[in-house]
Amino acid sequence: MSDSAPLLSVKNLATTFETARGEVPAVGGVTFDLLADETVGIVGESGSGKTVLARSIMGLQPRTNVRVEGSVQLGGTEIVGASEVELRKLWAVDVAMIFQDPMTSLNPLIRIGKQIDETLRLRLGLNKADAKKRAIELLDLVGIPSPNERYMAYPAQLSGGMRQRVVIAIALACSPKLLLADEPTTGLDVTIQAQILNLLDQLKSDLHMSMVLVTHDLGVVATRTDRIIVMYAGRIVETGTTKEVFAQHRMPYTEALLASTPKVSDASHTRLNAIPGRPPDLLQLSKGCSFAPRCQYATERCHNERPELESSGSPSHLFACWNPLPLPTNRTASPAGSEA
Amino acid sequence: MTTREAGEHLRYADLAIVRKKQKGVAVIKYVARRLVLMVGIIFVISVGAFYLIHLLPGDPATVILGGGDTPQARAALYKQLGLNRGIVIQYFVWLNHVLHGNLGTSFITDESVVSTIKSAFPIDVEMIILSQILAFAFAIPLAMRSAQKPNGRLDKTASAGSFTLLSIPPFIIIVFLVLIVAVKLKIPNTGPASYVSLGQDWVVNLESMVLPAVTLAIGSFVLYYRILRSDLISTLQEEFITLARSKGISRRRIMWRHAFRPSSVALVGTAGVNIGGLIAGGFVVQFLLQIPGLGFTLIDAINQSDYLLVQGIVLVISVSVVLINFLFDFLITIIDPRIARD
Amino acid sequence: MTNLANDFGIAEPELIDRPEKRGRLGILFWVCVAWLGINIFGAIFANVLPLPNPIANNYSAINFGPSLHHLLGTDELGRDIFSRIVYGSRISVSVGFGAMFIGFGVGAPLGMLAAYRRGLFDQIVTTLMYVFLAFPAIIAVIAVLSFWTPRSLLKIILVIGIASIPLVYRVIRAATLSMGSRDFVIAARVQGATDRRIIFRELLPNIAPVGISFLLIGIATVVTLEGALAFLGLSINPPQPSWGNMINESRTLLSQNIWIAIFPALALCLFLLSLNYIGDRLRSYFDVSEVKL
Repeated sequence: MSDSAPLLSVKNLATTFETARGEVPAVGGVTFDLLADETVGIVGESGSGKTVLARSIMGLQPRTNVRVEGSVQLGGTEIVGASEVELRKLWAVDVAMIFQDPMTSLNPLIRIGKQIDETLRLRLGLNKADAKKRAIELLDLVGIPSPNERYMAYPAQLSGGMRQRVVIAIALACSPKLLLADEPTTGLDVTIQAQILNLLDQLKSDLHMSMVLVTHDLGVVATRTDRIIVMYAGRIVETGTTKEVFAQHRMPYTEALLASTPKVSDASHTRLNAIPGRPPDLLQLSKGCSFAPRCQYATERCHNERPELESSGSPSHLFACWNPLPLPTNRTASPAGSEA
Repeated sequence: MTTREAGEHLRYADLAIVRKKQKGVAVIKYVARRLVLMVGIIFVISVGAFYLIHLLPGDPATVILGGGDTPQARAALYKQLGLNRGIVIQYFVWLNHVLHGNLGTSFITDESVVSTIKSAFPIDVEMIILSQILAFAFAIPLAMRSAQKPNGRLDKTASAGSFTLLSIPPFIIIVFLVLIVAVKLKIPNTGPASYVSLGQDWVVNLESMVLPAVTLAIGSFVLYYRILRSDLISTLQEEFITLARSKGISRRRIMWRHAFRPSSVALVGTAGVNIGGLIAGGFVVQFLLQIPGLGFTLIDAINQSDYLLVQGIVLVISVSVVLINFLFDFLITIIDPRIARD
Repeated sequence: MTNLANDFGIAEPELIDRPEKRGRLGILFWVCVAWLGINIFGAIFANVLPLPNPIANNYSAINFGPSLHHLLGTDELGRDIFSRIVYGSRISVSVGFGAMFIGFGVGAPLGMLAAYRRGLFDQIVTTLMYVFLAFPAIIAVIAVLSFWTPRSLLKIILVIGIASIPLVYRVIRAATLSMGSRDFVIAARVQGATDRRIIFRELLPNIAPVGISFLLIGIATVVTLEGALAFLGLSINPPQPSWGNMINESRTLLSQNIWIAIFPALALCLFLLSLNYIGDRLRSYFDVSEVKL
């Protein structure tokens, strides 16, 4: 964290889908910065807008029926509003994405080696032999055994965990400075999840990348992120360093999220603390706090007025709530699920 | 690396080698199965073709000999085809002849059936090849463009246009094409009876093939365009296309390298069926332009009650259709090896 | 049910099949339906409509252009073209619907049954059908119609109809197979529904859209086939008019009077266009899985 200028600077990013039934504000005004070598975790339920956010940051959203507003600055280049031709120069080389479902994110009819080669040859200009060599190195780097033989394999011949490693290899091929990992372990067996996350950690520090880790699983972010952003209904409701968010959270939604994570230390048959109700319909967002209908501390004001982000003491810790949890003096909340 | 991880790696390595073998074996097994099925179908077709003559009123000899029904001819025929023995034996006699390349000699034209077919068949092949080249040359690029901007201007125009063409039967197209091109515009060698074989004069040959090729190409084009466009649109929704985009490669490369192959399975399958249909169905166009292909010869033979020739042509056409379907099925497994594995 | 959903924070499952989500059929659709209706009406009631005799030669009115008296003009034998087209529609309509009636009447139930029951019945019948499908149907139709004289409309309908059975069988069977493995069928079975109930209540409504659009396209194909047969002289004999043989006869007369060719061609093409369009619209209307772009 030596550089003062942020690698990634997001200001008021808003992504709206124009559908037949109206406009859906999937992301509604997100602002944050990311420094070099930093990892930020974006946490939220399904439908909180976190995947849309990740794709909008990269500029990967389709052009039709989607409106992206605000600003995303990546190393000096403005992404919002840039043409696809301009964005292509950044993709793979400056920023890369790891997709959620390894079963569908690889082209089933092309050998994996060739899929890794592609950026090496077309973006870095390597010749065939060099590209193959580098691809095999990458396969080894992401922990695929017998990389020489696997180079010629088709995706269907690999297990889910292996495929995700290939996806990671593809993302890293041109050594991007920023890695966007969109639920990289959600589609995998629990036993493999830890492997993949450890791999990402290791690669990130070896290759000096910043990472945005999108997930719904708090256990994943507990020990692997520097900062956390909690999203709900397309907006940031709390953000801060990992420690701040886990131990000193102010927003009731964060508390509910933490409480709902089952712990290994719980006795068996412990009831799940699910958050009651369901995520709001984005077509009809209320004028108040989006979480209010499900919040046990909601007040009149919460239902009528939307809270803005305010600081909770330290400059890095922000939350948006009219009736926040009190500043902890002796709160003994521990990071949940650090056994992940 | 811990021992446990090393062990896991070894396990995966083993699985990879096993899977590789399975893949090769799976394709061979699939091909073998289809081959057996194909032989079976051809066998049944041969029985059908053989029996065709027996379905007609009168005994086969009368049917075949027609006007040339003399006692000597009869005797010769009986000997040749074994008509005085049981029907099963007749079939095998006939089959024996066929496998030796002898489909009989027509009593109407006095030519051997095989040689008649031999001179007619290449014409169909040429017509089909030309029409398919045209059809694909237009359908593929157009579908690729349309799929990238669905419901855009190009897409809407192309779709409406192809839909309209779909509703104009080939015989109408050819009638009006001949009217406009050969009669009104008087472009040489395009009207009826202008066909000349490739060997004689390839320029005139191609000129005479233009109208039939275009007519047949239209129907194929519409079919291929619609299918490819539809498959491309759904392939472009797939996640692996988004990943390909995120690599920063050009649109063109994404379409041709990543999107085309997975979308072409249905196309190839349809092409197989379509081409098979053209072998049989090109007859109207041939008939109108008096191009002596198989279809034309078949109709002629039917009109002249030349049943041996009819039988021979039916057999050849049917077997060709089956072979082509098989070939295209094989092509599909090359495009998408997963099909063999299912 | 809702309470449980609330307790566990489970979102309510989206009801996909809401009518307003499907999009409308469009005005062109209804125009085509109307056009088909007019054609069918004309075909059925040709006898009682005030039309001049379609086969009566009238040598004093040869090759007239369209006029008030003869709406579409007359042909080389003085016959009224409009009337011949209306009478010609009888052939197309009856061949189209008749042949498909046979094809679907036999092929569809067989296909559904085979797909639903599987087992020996399915294997035998399907293999049989696939053998028939390998044989180019057109040739069989041509061969049979050439040899089975004297030709009549009924024979034509019968031959084409029977020839279409294997194809209908294959399509309906494939559609049923893809439905049958879906969860809602399994769910119905688990609930103890009888086979009959499953077929009629669950499968049929879901296959109907595919079936109907294939039916329409089938009618279009058959009508086209009749036209092609006319060119080979294998449709009904002149002077009875059919769109196919009208166009065929006009070939030699094109220099004299193109209306003889254009009007029946137009009639045929519009008829086919309507069928194709309706079939296509129905297919996309009912295909809820298709992404609405």
